[in-house]
Amino acid sequence: MNELILDVEQLSACYGRVEALIGVSLQVARGEIVTVVGANGAGKSTLLHSLLGTIAPTNGRIAFAGEDISRWPIHRRIDAGLVLVPEGRRILVSMTIEENLLLGAHMRQDKSAVRREIDNIYDRFPNLGRRRSHGASCLSGGEQQMLALGRAMLAKPQLLMMDEPSLGLSPLFVSKLFELIKDYNREGLSVLLIEQNTANALRIAHQATVLELGRVAMEGDAAAIAGSARLQEAYLGGAAHEVTEADKRKWIGRRS
Amino acid sequence: MVAVAFTLAIGVLNFLNFSIPGIFMIAGMVSWAALKSGQHWLFAFGVALTASAAVGVAVYFLTYRPSSDSDPEVPLVSSLGFLVLLENLIVLWLGSDQQSYPALIADFNFRVGSIIVGGAQLLSLALSLAFVFALSLSLRFTNLGRQVRAIAESRRTASILGVNVGSVVPRVFVLSALFTGAGGILFAISYLQVSSSMGESIGFKGISAMIIGGMGNIWGAVAGGLLIGLVEILSTQFLGADFVNIGVYGLLLALLIIKPEGLFGMAAAREKL
Repeated sequence: MNELILDVEQLSACYGRVEALIGVSLQVARGEIVTVVGANGAGKSTLLHSLLGTIAPTNGRIAFAGEDISRWPIHRRIDAGLVLVPEGRRILVSMTIEENLLLGAHMRQDKSAVRREIDNIYDRFPNLGRRRSHGASCLSGGEQQMLALGRAMLAKPQLLMMDEPSLGLSPLFVSKLFELIKDYNREGLSVLLIEQNTANALRIAHQATVLELGRVAMEGDAAAIAGSARLQEAYLGGAAHEVTEADKRKWIGRRS
Repeated sequence: MVAVAFTLAIGVLNFLNFSIPGIFMIAGMVSWAALKSGQHWLFAFGVALTASAAVGVAVYFLTYRPSSDSDPEVPLVSSLGFLVLLENLIVLWLGSDQQSYPALIADFNFRVGSIIVGGAQLLSLALSLAFVFALSLSLRFTNLGRQVRAIAESRRTASILGVNVGSVVPRVFVLSALFTGAGGILFAISYLQVSSSMGESIGFKGISAMIIGGMGNIWGAVAGGLLIGLVEILSTQFLGADFVNIGVYGLLLALLIIKPEGLFGMAAAREKL
């Protein structure tokens, strides 16, 4: 196995007063795509936010590129290359498209390289380039996702974390997005992908971890997980795409 | 200038900083005290601006930071406390009398048609506009400016993108205080009077200008300030000096009824108060 870019040991964290993560361990090797799947409320987002530092874990250790970053502030983690594409994209609509991209690169000093990378993004997404000086609110959901991805890439990630990137996108954009993730991965980017769209996520991932109620329920080779009967019946047989209120209550009941 | 300082504080920090009129007054009084003791005007202004920035930093550490997790009303009240404290410190130190400020610029008035334009006032206006212009350019085109605007739109998104909110916010405080201080000095130069209570009416007018212009919009605050000045002059001219405040605050009231988001404001910005 390759060198680990991310090594999480026994991470626990609370979301509000709920214990959302209980002793989760997770590894990402350099150059891999790892996906974390699970139903709503399984702790996926809490996991990403603990890794980024927006949630302070109550226990456990996070090692990134060989360094213990558990106590680092958010901006230092991002500077080191641990970058998040947040759920809901979080585009800044009071700014232009170009300003959103520049904001992604705000820690970098190499201005000419940033300029080149922005131009590359415009080449890749002509829709962004054509409207670079327009307000970002004029973009469609799919275009906003591309902008959020571009913005994250400008922070020079070593490990890109993505929180539900396909949420609310048209099927066309979803397949485009997953192609793009694969492209970036082939260029050497490690990816930690959190998805409700489990089938697609398992298709492009190398490794997968299934979270259930804050604990690791299964982990291993993505293809094996995709074929496993337990995964199908427990989380993914349609229920994971559309979680009903009744389901949520049932899960909360099981937790307590 | 005061309206712009308020706009910075509210737009970025979601914090109605009541110490701003106090800083305005500090700059006026400190520069007066330094000039009176025979210092060169450059030195006096430098001291006044340093004092302004120092108060800004003190307000950040003593009011905003300790209560950043609590309701927005908490720093509002404690900054109001700061205003009272600053005024009383100055009363103790320099007394509460109106003091006349030395005329630093030769009194050159000139006439445009039938209107008399004061040279000092004109210079103040030009300098204020230049400062505001510089501020607006740097918010627009510099890295720090983009970070400030990201925080203004969403503090959470900004921190997810790696903006170091804990280091950008105090810089905004200092900038806002410097702006206010420069405003206080320019006020003193053009009206040739300072007093320990000079901040209060200016504070109310600054808030009004900000509301009229639309909260969170720098040029809106400038336009609001100019509009208030114009209404002041016109109501003095046509209604008499007693009606000045009625004119200004009547305008504010009328505007709030007709267009509550201000002239150039976005509806969302109102939630910040």
